[in-house]
Amino acid sequence: MPAISIIDVVMRFDRFTAVDHVSLDVEEGEFVTLLGPSGCGKTTLLKLVSGFLQPTEGRIEIEGRNVTGVPPEARNTAMCFQSYALFPHLTVAENIAFGLRQKRLPAAERRDRLADVTGQVDLGDHLPKLPNQLSGGQQQRVALGRALAVRPYVILFDEPLSNLDAKLREQVRYEIRKITRDFGLTAIYVTHDQSEALAMSDRIFVMNGGRLEQSGAPEEIYRHPRTRFVADFIGSANVLDAEVVGEIGPNLWQVTTALGPLAVSSETGPAARRIPVAWRPETARDGAAAHNTVEAVVRHRSFQGHFTDLIVDAGTTTQRLQLPRSAAREGAQITFSIAPEDIAFLEPDA
Amino acid sequence: MRLGRTATILLLLTPGIGLIVFFIGAVIYIAIAQSFGYYNLLGESGYSLEFWETLTGRKAYARSVRYSLYVGFWSAILSVALAYPLALWLRKPFTGSLTVSAILKAPLLVHGIVAAFLFLNVISFHGILNQFMVWTGIFDEPRRLQNDDNAIGLLFLQVWKNMPFALLLLTGAVQAISDDVLHAAQDLGAGAWARFRKVIAPLSVSAMQAALIIIFIGALADFTFQTTIGPTNRQSLAQYMTFFKERGRWNDAAVVGVTLMALSLVGAIVLAAAARLIFRGRLR
Repeated sequence: MPAISIIDVVMRFDRFTAVDHVSLDVEEGEFVTLLGPSGCGKTTLLKLVSGFLQPTEGRIEIEGRNVTGVPPEARNTAMCFQSYALFPHLTVAENIAFGLRQKRLPAAERRDRLADVTGQVDLGDHLPKLPNQLSGGQQQRVALGRALAVRPYVILFDEPLSNLDAKLREQVRYEIRKITRDFGLTAIYVTHDQSEALAMSDRIFVMNGGRLEQSGAPEEIYRHPRTRFVADFIGSANVLDAEVVGEIGPNLWQVTTALGPLAVSSETGPAARRIPVAWRPETARDGAAAHNTVEAVVRHRSFQGHFTDLIVDAGTTTQRLQLPRSAAREGAQITFSIAPEDIAFLEPDA
Repeated sequence: MRLGRTATILLLLTPGIGLIVFFIGAVIYIAIAQSFGYYNLLGESGYSLEFWETLTGRKAYARSVRYSLYVGFWSAILSVALAYPLALWLRKPFTGSLTVSAILKAPLLVHGIVAAFLFLNVISFHGILNQFMVWTGIFDEPRRLQNDDNAIGLLFLQVWKNMPFALLLLTGAVQAISDDVLHAAQDLGAGAWARFRKVIAPLSVSAMQAALIIIFIGALADFTFQTTIGPTNRQSLAQYMTFFKERGRWNDAAVVGVTLMALSLVGAIVLAAAARLIFRGRLR
């Protein structure tokens, strides 16, 4: 039995459809991410799971129980908000104990849980402080501790790291994942940051325009994007409109594109004669190869440390590639190649 | 250098704050001095407790104190109690909320004396309410509604006039509480009452205190409403003070004035402390 089932859920605000017939299951102990750009419906979907919104259509089940009309306070969920949403008039200890008091737990158990949680989120020295006396990272840990203290069946994260600086974000990202794993929590994490989603998730649900575009393990989503949107949103893949010429070998297809003729490796083959194909900038190899060798002129170069980001004119199009230790300057002629297995057929455009 | 800088700041502040301090200080000084026998316009000036002793020994004085405190406290409490749910209702905009808010705040634009006369038209012996009640058959004949011992009409008018002010302060305070904070409380198991008691009230208690204090002080020293629609067998402290002033008994009037100031201070502290104590929202 899935921990959470979202069954054909629709959420409309007047004429605007924020969530459009979404169905998904989350298994117990799984950490899933709803990933998508602003306005794609991911936070709305999270609010539907938490109970702050009631769906226009469809059903939500938690632990196999239909909770569609159940208010948030009666659901066994806890949420970490983007703004942290700490109670500014209460100390760190009181913030963490808030949910425990609401549950009317005995004082001894409250004390034990407070000690457990403050140890987990490393806030022992800050218990008597008010939230405004803490840094952003500490406030985020209080919010996390407050949610963990009630030992929810499901923990929900609404872009919890977006207000932190890059370094702290990476640290807290690791802490969140460790704690949810240690506690065996089922988690739904909302973010628009693909690196966060790829680093933390057991499974990613990519959303666009209120609909689910694709779901799968991070590697699967990254390596085998199904749609033009997923390919572009995750990893900024180069997407080309292709016309299939024919099969030129076992699982090897010849296509013509604005980049020139390309060989594409695919077990299933293309779903249509005119079909988009995608390849990732970091899969480009410096120099010629047996297949897919491309001549290009560097238009823009950006050194990024462990790779060099190049925007190049090739064929009749502009593409992006990331090469390790490339010395090519702007205006230089370069040769690069793409392995057929690094090019993927996408779903034909509607 | 530091002394010169301080002197410059003080000099710059003097035309503004200095004048305010001077005028307020002068009034307080004169009132207190007169209550202790100084500035006696009818007799010999000099330190004396005679005026305090005489007045505090009178039953009329004690009755006035009790009555003014009654009006002040109930006006403040009822105004805030009524304004709170309205402020929560108006916290999030909805269709027509602007109109509702404007109508609720309309009494702020009506002068107290005008409101009092309007209200008198409604509750007087031949007023609209009596005529309506007789017309519907609920009353056999007009009833005297104006001079009730508990000053219900007066309290009604005080609340009608002061509630919009409390609403103004409280709406601002509750609107400043983010949805996320309330959602967090709800998510952690707090129902509507717990959210109000543990989150909304503590975070808006400063506005509540301000409303309670300002309304209390105004209602405590009310003269206009009391003389227009108040019960004729009751005398507020403001009326009592005017009574002495009209007879040229400035020192007695000063005793009542100082009493009013002292009661304002003490009452304000009591109300503010009670509000903070009841709605502090601390969990320990």
